[in-house]
Amino acid sequence: MIRTNRRKLALTSAVLAVAAMTASSLPAQAASDPGLTSTTIKLGITVPLTGIASPGYNKIPGAMKAYFDYVNANGGVNGRKITLVVKDDQYIPTTAVAKANELILKDKVFALVGTLGTASTKAISASTQLAKRGIPSLFVNTGFSGFADKKAYPTTFSILPSYQMEAKIMGKFLKDKYADKKLALIYQDDDFGRDALAGFKQAGITFGTYIPYASGSQSLPATGAGWISKLKASGAEVTVLFGVSSASTAALANAYAAQFKTQWVLGSVGGDATTIAATNKAYVPLLYGAKGFSFAPAPTDATDEYIKLFQSIYATAQPTQTFDNNVVAGMSNAFVAVQALQAAGSNLTRAGLIKTIEAKGASFANPFLTPLGYSATSHVGATGYWIGTYDPTGALKPDGGKYTVYTTDSGAGPVVESTYKRPAMPAKGLPN
Amino acid sequence: MLKKHPLFTFIVFGAVLFLLSNRVDELRVFQGATVAIYVIAIASIILLTGYSGQVSLGHGALLAIGGYAAALSRNEWGAPVWLTFCIAVLAAALGGYLLGLAAARLSGPYLAGTTLALAIGLPSIANQFTVLGGEQGLLFDIGVPPTFLGEDFTQYKWFFWIASLAALIAIYWLRNVMNSRYGRSWKAVRGNDVAAELAGINVGRNKVLAFTVSAGLAGLAGALLAMTISTVSPGAFPLALSFSLATGAVLSGVTTLGGVMIGAVTLVAIPEIVDTVVSRFESSESVANNLPGLLVSTLLILTVLFVPNGPVEQMRARHEKRAKR
Repeated sequence: MIRTNRRKLALTSAVLAVAAMTASSLPAQAASDPGLTSTTIKLGITVPLTGIASPGYNKIPGAMKAYFDYVNANGGVNGRKITLVVKDDQYIPTTAVAKANELILKDKVFALVGTLGTASTKAISASTQLAKRGIPSLFVNTGFSGFADKKAYPTTFSILPSYQMEAKIMGKFLKDKYADKKLALIYQDDDFGRDALAGFKQAGITFGTYIPYASGSQSLPATGAGWISKLKASGAEVTVLFGVSSASTAALANAYAAQFKTQWVLGSVGGDATTIAATNKAYVPLLYGAKGFSFAPAPTDATDEYIKLFQSIYATAQPTQTFDNNVVAGMSNAFVAVQALQAAGSNLTRAGLIKTIEAKGASFANPFLTPLGYSATSHVGATGYWIGTYDPTGALKPDGGKYTVYTTDSGAGPVVESTYKRPAMPAKGLPN
Repeated sequence: MLKKHPLFTFIVFGAVLFLLSNRVDELRVFQGATVAIYVIAIASIILLTGYSGQVSLGHGALLAIGGYAAALSRNEWGAPVWLTFCIAVLAAALGGYLLGLAAARLSGPYLAGTTLALAIGLPSIANQFTVLGGEQGLLFDIGVPPTFLGEDFTQYKWFFWIASLAALIAIYWLRNVMNSRYGRSWKAVRGNDVAAELAGINVGRNKVLAFTVSAGLAGLAGALLAMTISTVSPGAFPLALSFSLATGAVLSGVTTLGGVMIGAVTLVAIPEIVDTVVSRFESSESVANNLPGLLVSTLLILTVLFVPNGPVEQMRARHEKRAKR
């Protein structure tokens, strides 16, 4: 009797144990994905807030928060309010992975937004296994064409046009405008520059002089020594600089010191007045007269309905900060993220969000002057550039007083003048 | 216990770690892996500075050699994971040997300057050769954990196991080396190189050897670091890494291996503690961003002021003093 009892007890406890184990191993998120409640959505971002690469970029989270708070104050997205958890990665991939892990595992965010820097983005994606976990990484801030590869990065969407697109458009511009001039190119001798060389080749542009420079990193200033004498010797009338801000600063400052005059054409990465001002405010006027490229409306253009709205939101949220293109980038990023969350509906899931962007992303309302390229096969955001000239304050003004936008792809497609007309902004810039 | 049965102690410690890894959540497991990597890297500095008296401010560069060697051997030749770590150790040791040849002729600030220059310059070599992947770096994928560990076995737990095992083996081996003829020679050189030479120790050769061994360990740490972030890129080995490793070594106490955990845990824990504290009090962004750096620097200054040889050495000294009374 005792024996049977004991056996019964053993059997019962075994069954109970198995049942308990099964129950505890059932997926916990059967109810909803992490970072979601019926009233909130939690998003996370890692950016360089400190360190040598932070000037300019460190304004992005504040700008995003300003727009999210504006949306929250007006009812949120499908009744949910957005919170943004911000981490400082110092532009170091190792730190970026550690911070992304905190966001995913500790803060349990629903999605990452606005990750910045190619190396960091790549490391985060691989180490935290975004694809395997199905975590959306919305609108990363890098033009490296690799992130457009949907197979390798199925949950990642970029927002910038690729560097190759930019070089192709720049190539067409040089052909149209400076066909009879002597051309020179200063470029960064790595994947960034090679993307550009491929683009120029496709555009059928050959330069009289090529000056590659080895940049240790965005964080190391380029010397620029010797560039100007090479340019002088070749008699370069038009000089393209496809590099980081530290390189443009070095080039502009050395040219000024040597009294060397050339028509500068700056790539979008190296033409940011805020970053140049962080090195030395005195360098900003040197941008005057240079040609530059952008896909968002100019931050100074108060006639643009998006800029007008963003300026008023930002002035209330961050009264002490100046409104520049980094702020426009951050707020635009937040704007598109809100559009995506809205479109994904009230029954929000990670997988659903990704599907929604692929299906409807190209028609999202957004501040950019180029079409968005999201589709089931492409995860690239903006697809073109407009060309402008820098004024003495370092602001880029569109040539001819209006935005003429060129679009293309990262492949062999032609560069065409875009007929895209940006749809009107939703009422008060809120999701509808 | 440690003195009598070191191997047994290490095995017990390993078993505790193993059990812990099944108990804590995944973020802690990831941080645990980072601690294990710092343990190796800091031990490598302690060996160099504390035991052989040479200063290195450029350990990040040696970590980079290890990281790139591991990634290249994996990507180009498809080497198995364990072999990539061996290659990383050998490559970094070779780099350390060459550096050591120069280092043996230098000392004090000159040596610090040389290694510092290396830390600044070396990672950017990646931008010169296409095979090294430029600014974006290379992927370093060690693959998923073996299937017999079960489906719930996460990638980070796998990283943690590999890193902890590597750290345990490295520290055990290093402890034995320190107690061997080589370790005693290194200590003698550090204490007084003229006296060491009179005692028949070849000072130059011993310095180079210490540099080589230390670099090999740094290479292992570099490969493990690359493993946890699944990539290698120049940005992953900034000057800040070299400095924080040196800081970790000072916090641990440069003259003894016993405190190596202290520095490693501090480096990983401080940023998170600050995050938690700051999120509780609504404080300005610039304070929150710069607080971790400030705290680590303060700790560094306090350590140098009050426990110059590290907390472990200090405790031992106090213990011995009391025993004498």
